[in-house]
Amino acid sequence: MKFSIAVSVICAFSIVRSSWLDSEIEWFNEYLALTLLSMNFFTYDISSFSPMKLCIIPLVILVLSLASVGMMWMQTGLPISPGIEFQGGISVTLVTDETPDEITAYFSGYPLISVNEGINNGKYLKFGPMDDAATTAFVKLVEGKYSGAKIDQIGSSFGATLQEQATIALIISFIGMSIVVFAVFRTFVPSAAVVISAFADMVMSAAAMNLLGIQLSLGTTAALLMLIGYSVDSDILLTSRVLKRKGKFDEKIQGAFKTGIIMTSTTFGAILAMWIISAIGGIMIIWEIASVLLIGLLFDVMNTWLTNAGIIKWYMTEGKGRLLSGQRGA
Amino acid sequence: MDKDTLMDMIKDYRVAIYLILLIVSIIVIFPHPGPSGLDTNLQFGLDLDGGSWIQLEFQSAIVTFKSDMTLDKFIPELKTKLDAEVSLVDENTLEIRKNISEEDLRLVFTELQTELVSYNPGVTKTTADDVKRILESKINSLGTRDAKVYVITALNGISRYVRIEMAGVSMGEAQEIVGKQGKFEIRIHTTANETEHVLFGDSIQSVANPSQTPPNSNNWGVSFVTTPNAAEDLRQAAIKVGATRTPEGHNLDMILDGKVVYSAPLSPDLAAELQSKATSNLLASTGAGEGGREQAKLLEIHLRNGALPVGVTIAGSGSVSPELGGQFKFWSVLAGVFALFAVAISVYVRYREPGIVFPMVLINGSEIIILLAVTTFFMQLDLATIAGLIAVLGTGIDQLVIITDEILHEGKVPSPNLYLKRLKRALGIIVASAGTVLIAMLPLAVMDLSTLRGFAIITMLGVLVGVLVTRPAYGRIIMSILSK
Repeated sequence: MKFSIAVSVICAFSIVRSSWLDSEIEWFNEYLALTLLSMNFFTYDISSFSPMKLCIIPLVILVLSLASVGMMWMQTGLPISPGIEFQGGISVTLVTDETPDEITAYFSGYPLISVNEGINNGKYLKFGPMDDAATTAFVKLVEGKYSGAKIDQIGSSFGATLQEQATIALIISFIGMSIVVFAVFRTFVPSAAVVISAFADMVMSAAAMNLLGIQLSLGTTAALLMLIGYSVDSDILLTSRVLKRKGKFDEKIQGAFKTGIIMTSTTFGAILAMWIISAIGGIMIIWEIASVLLIGLLFDVMNTWLTNAGIIKWYMTEGKGRLLSGQRGA
Repeated sequence: MDKDTLMDMIKDYRVAIYLILLIVSIIVIFPHPGPSGLDTNLQFGLDLDGGSWIQLEFQSAIVTFKSDMTLDKFIPELKTKLDAEVSLVDENTLEIRKNISEEDLRLVFTELQTELVSYNPGVTKTTADDVKRILESKINSLGTRDAKVYVITALNGISRYVRIEMAGVSMGEAQEIVGKQGKFEIRIHTTANETEHVLFGDSIQSVANPSQTPPNSNNWGVSFVTTPNAAEDLRQAAIKVGATRTPEGHNLDMILDGKVVYSAPLSPDLAAELQSKATSNLLASTGAGEGGREQAKLLEIHLRNGALPVGVTIAGSGSVSPELGGQFKFWSVLAGVFALFAVAISVYVRYREPGIVFPMVLINGSEIIILLAVTTFFMQLDLATIAGLIAVLGTGIDQLVIITDEILHEGKVPSPNLYLKRLKRALGIIVASAGTVLIAMLPLAVMDLSTLRGFAIITMLGVLVGVLVTRPAYGRIIMSILSK
């Protein structure tokens, strides 16, 4: 089990080194190290940790994340910096051995925002919004020089509509998830613990996206929604094991951890494969989805086994749950 | 495992359903050798096959209102004030075919002492279907191979967008096709085979919807209005060739892009009228019954020059070249294979027991096959859908791990009774987390966030197939294997 985590981490490290943006590396390393730290001391035992101690690290990160997300909100009106699909603009994927400077010169008459380089000479260009006539001329310019380019254009009003709908989708999803969780466990504290962990997961992932420069797009919105499902998975496992099984709390939670960590690392492995291959193949939408899922899964490990475990430990040892397990004769 | 336990296992309804579904799925996908290597029944979207899409937004709004004025006074006044086409949908709903903001419209309504109750950008389903028909006929007449036109209708029945997808066409070509107006001309027969120019499409001012003249006679036609100049040209031409005296033999031809789409003589009363004065109100009748109606619909499109009844702007567009699409296809298959491989390695490291790892990976892989088969019926595989498939792979394996660990609790293989109890408990956890995924994805599947709909639908289907079919079957299979 430890071996598989180590493998994933080594893979992640070596991939990050050859990744799209240099500035990402530093941050990625830092928070990987952090997650590793939390996982390692967790593998040993949690019986000596008080609920407060368990929750303190995630709490600090959550507060920092909320600050980051809040700042972005004030700047852009959205918790995560919106990409072209939500702001309007044009993105172009093309394969060329020209340098970014040459590309910038060629498109000097158009509102070029950024040029990112991928593997295999792939280039990913972003442009600001243009009117219908300029778009037509632009498309001719691109198709004239780079055959086989992928062009995506979103008008700013359509972008605004997409943004509005994406926000609604995220809110409804989150509320829906909370209702299901409360319906399943029917007790306040354990249900709230699951919902809080999922919330923390999303906020932390959002903050990490801001730090790494991953923008909110249709793909990353889908990934965030998917995270709601993924993160709740291990939380539900933990809560069910603790509430519905007989036995000592520490043993139950260790059993749950054993299952939960293999679940997460297997999923992590599958998504990591998707992330690597899509980076090589230059498939932006899949790469974006995979990036956000990977970040979210790492935070999920922390939030399930520190945040959720901390709250449920408090509930079982000091809160109402103590009574409950006492009645069951555990 | 001996033959008997194998038979017992297959006879179990959970395993039987799973096996049947898997076999049917492979038949449905139908992999067979073809011209491009391996052919299947899978349908690929534009980003894998290459092509372009354009999404148009209607410059129009559906509003409901409350007015003290009578309708036949209110609507004409509104028309003049807005200088736009306004049509009544039902007694308090209007379709205003103009790009006007809610605030501006509210001001106009206030001037008319009418309350604006609701405002939604878009058109009615009927108008949207007209647009779809016009676009289809236009694209087909230009000989474009594989074009699809979708109207995007919200839950409230109002359509705001129409999306055109053209396979194998570059974005430049696509924009040209959609933006192109047909060349429409009316010519009059001078002698048997000679014709003379009367007017071009730009002198047609407005075209009405197909109607029956006289009303309810089931005689269909399309009336249209020309400019006064064109009306005079028509009169001169008709007099010159003698069509006003002998309409027969001097047919009027309507020609779109060099093809005659309609040809008929002047009616006796029109001929008589033209003898004395010009008229700009014309009616082209197309005959009686359903055939006449269909013809009238087509003629309306032609008279409009392929112009749409409502203004549109480009909301978004995109294209992928076939080469790049092919590349994406290759890499996404590879991503799927590697994902499955990664899953196999992780579970092997955990359980170190081929008897567990094989069924797990096989079940996981066959969930993907079943989902692929489901997509052939009603959706296209695009990049977002493939991302969804890989995400399903991830959740699927999670739940197989839950089942395995729950059953193997305390490292011992349980008795059948205890086994069923534990399987039930595992399925309880699974159903709960499946419920959250379903709920989380539901908004995306219902709303139309462009490509993400496919992602959401495939994820939801994946969860359903998993919970209802493959995971219970896995529980049964793993029991037979472990109890050997």
